[in-house]
Amino acid sequence: MTWLNRIVVRCGGPVGFAGACIVAALAIVAILAPEIAPFDPLQVNIQDQLLEPGDSYWLGTDQSGRDILSRIVWGSRASLMVSAFAVIIGLAGGVPIGLVAGFYRGGWLEQAIMRVLEAVSAIPVLIWAIALVGILGVRNIDLGPIPIGNEAKLLALLGLLYIPTLARLTYTTALIESQANYVAARRLQGVSGVRIMFSDVLPNCLSPVIVQGTLLLAIGIIIEAAISFVGLGVQPPTPSWGNMLASARDYLLSGEWWLSVFPGAAISLAVIGFNLLGDGLRDRFDPRHTTAVGVAT
Amino acid sequence: MLVLFFRRASFSAFSLLVVCLLLFVLTRSIPDSPARIVLGDQATEQQIAQFERDHGLDRSILAQYLSWIGNLTLRGDLGRSFTTGLDMNKQVADTLPVTLEIVAVAFFAATAASVVLGTVSALYRDSAVDYLARLLAVIGVSVPGFWIALVLILTFAVERDWFPPEDLVPISQNLAGHVRSIALPSFCLSIFYMAVLTRMTRSSLLEVLGQDYMRTARATGLHPARVLLYALRNALVPVVTIAGVSFGHMFGWALIIEQIFSIDGLSRALLTAILRRDYAMVQAVVMIFTLVFVGANLLADLANGWLNPRLAAATG
Repeated sequence: MTWLNRIVVRCGGPVGFAGACIVAALAIVAILAPEIAPFDPLQVNIQDQLLEPGDSYWLGTDQSGRDILSRIVWGSRASLMVSAFAVIIGLAGGVPIGLVAGFYRGGWLEQAIMRVLEAVSAIPVLIWAIALVGILGVRNIDLGPIPIGNEAKLLALLGLLYIPTLARLTYTTALIESQANYVAARRLQGVSGVRIMFSDVLPNCLSPVIVQGTLLLAIGIIIEAAISFVGLGVQPPTPSWGNMLASARDYLLSGEWWLSVFPGAAISLAVIGFNLLGDGLRDRFDPRHTTAVGVAT
Repeated sequence: MLVLFFRRASFSAFSLLVVCLLLFVLTRSIPDSPARIVLGDQATEQQIAQFERDHGLDRSILAQYLSWIGNLTLRGDLGRSFTTGLDMNKQVADTLPVTLEIVAVAFFAATAASVVLGTVSALYRDSAVDYLARLLAVIGVSVPGFWIALVLILTFAVERDWFPPEDLVPISQNLAGHVRSIALPSFCLSIFYMAVLTRMTRSSLLEVLGQDYMRTARATGLHPARVLLYALRNALVPVVTIAGVSFGHMFGWALIIEQIFSIDGLSRALLTAILRRDYAMVQAVVMIFTLVFVGANLLADLANGWLNPRLAAATG
């Protein structure tokens, strides 16, 4: 069982490993949604509406008689896709910007980049996201021949909004790393600045970024759910955990508890998974805890 | 200290200007002009031109921006909505107090509870209390507040009538009823931050307690409570910083919470404005949020300067 031990250590101990298992299970559910879901998530059955959890519908049905379990399974796609792509965009944009600002410190470039990033971070990500989605409108936008759906808009916006967080984090580490002796040594060897920056400084800046990236995945799930909950995200009938909770709200006072309890449990499980993995990775990569949990929302 | 304050304040003012410019450019660069939204698809070119002239929309973005900033800073005037014709200042004055109250209650509950819980958890490290506090912290950062709100409504408003689902009771009408109607929203808003700050207090206090000067303090025979007080004074610096950031963030999450509990606050007004495409209102509300956020961060810096004068000396 040494391979199992090795994986556990990679995830930063048993806690991180538990998180990794939850995340892996969710990813499998999202990818294999058509095989796993017992029913069609969009199939309306008027005679089966608002059934309690039971033998044929394990988690009950909603106001249109659609199977809750199948909608949760399909809803995992929207949540995971938005949060994963947002972090990828944030990393692709934020890491190079922070690296350049930290490596070429003391210049106008550093000042210009950091001041603008700090100004943008003056508004919480959730407010930016809601305001921007609102300004752009919830209808689909056609960018030339490519139609951009609301999910794509959401993940692009979130990705852009993650850039300041990740850039500032990379900047802090790059600032310290680029003053280290090994950088001076590489300079004496005649290696160009750009090359030192990417092949020597960058790898040493990645640990906190990986940890923060994992925590941003958790935050992305919550923000996607929140925005879909207020009706600005994934549009019905396409299922998402957030818009399922939104329609459940109308049935709260009449006591149909299963409509709101299960989608929320799915959100919580996913977020717990990413948070545990992030905590584990932090113990492994960043024992001094320079990354802060939850502050990026 | 004063130098630090002015440096921070001038930077904050700069952030406000940049955020506001970004919002301006964004709202003005969308394909639909506000005139089209208000007057509808049947409006003629002439009517639209007339509307834009009346509301000053035919000027360049920079000119509009400068006059908006001018009105805001010189006269404290947030402007008027293009779509509803309502006065922004009145709108904000009507809705801000409720939001502010819920956020403030949530904020003080979260900070007080987390400092106590984090301290106990650090002092009795690896005890049952510590494990319980850490478990609560993980759950608190993972379970979304708006879902907790739904579950709490199910348990306490539907199954039992402890917190009846009714509109907000004004404080002038019935104090107990008022407290009861804001208890659940504030609680749901505070959970996440309580968890974050508890973790922060615990780890920060553990680090401080391990320092040499703490050993020295104990060795001189100081009363343990006194030693703890000194430790907290140092340990709370990062907690105060994050608490300052949290206060601004709570306004964002208040949007979701107000929506669930049907409270007519400022955050909910932002959502209504977005759905109505009332950009002047969006701009005004986001501006207020940024102001609160920047102000809270500034206060946190000041508090830290008081907690640990070395910080102020180093940066100022």
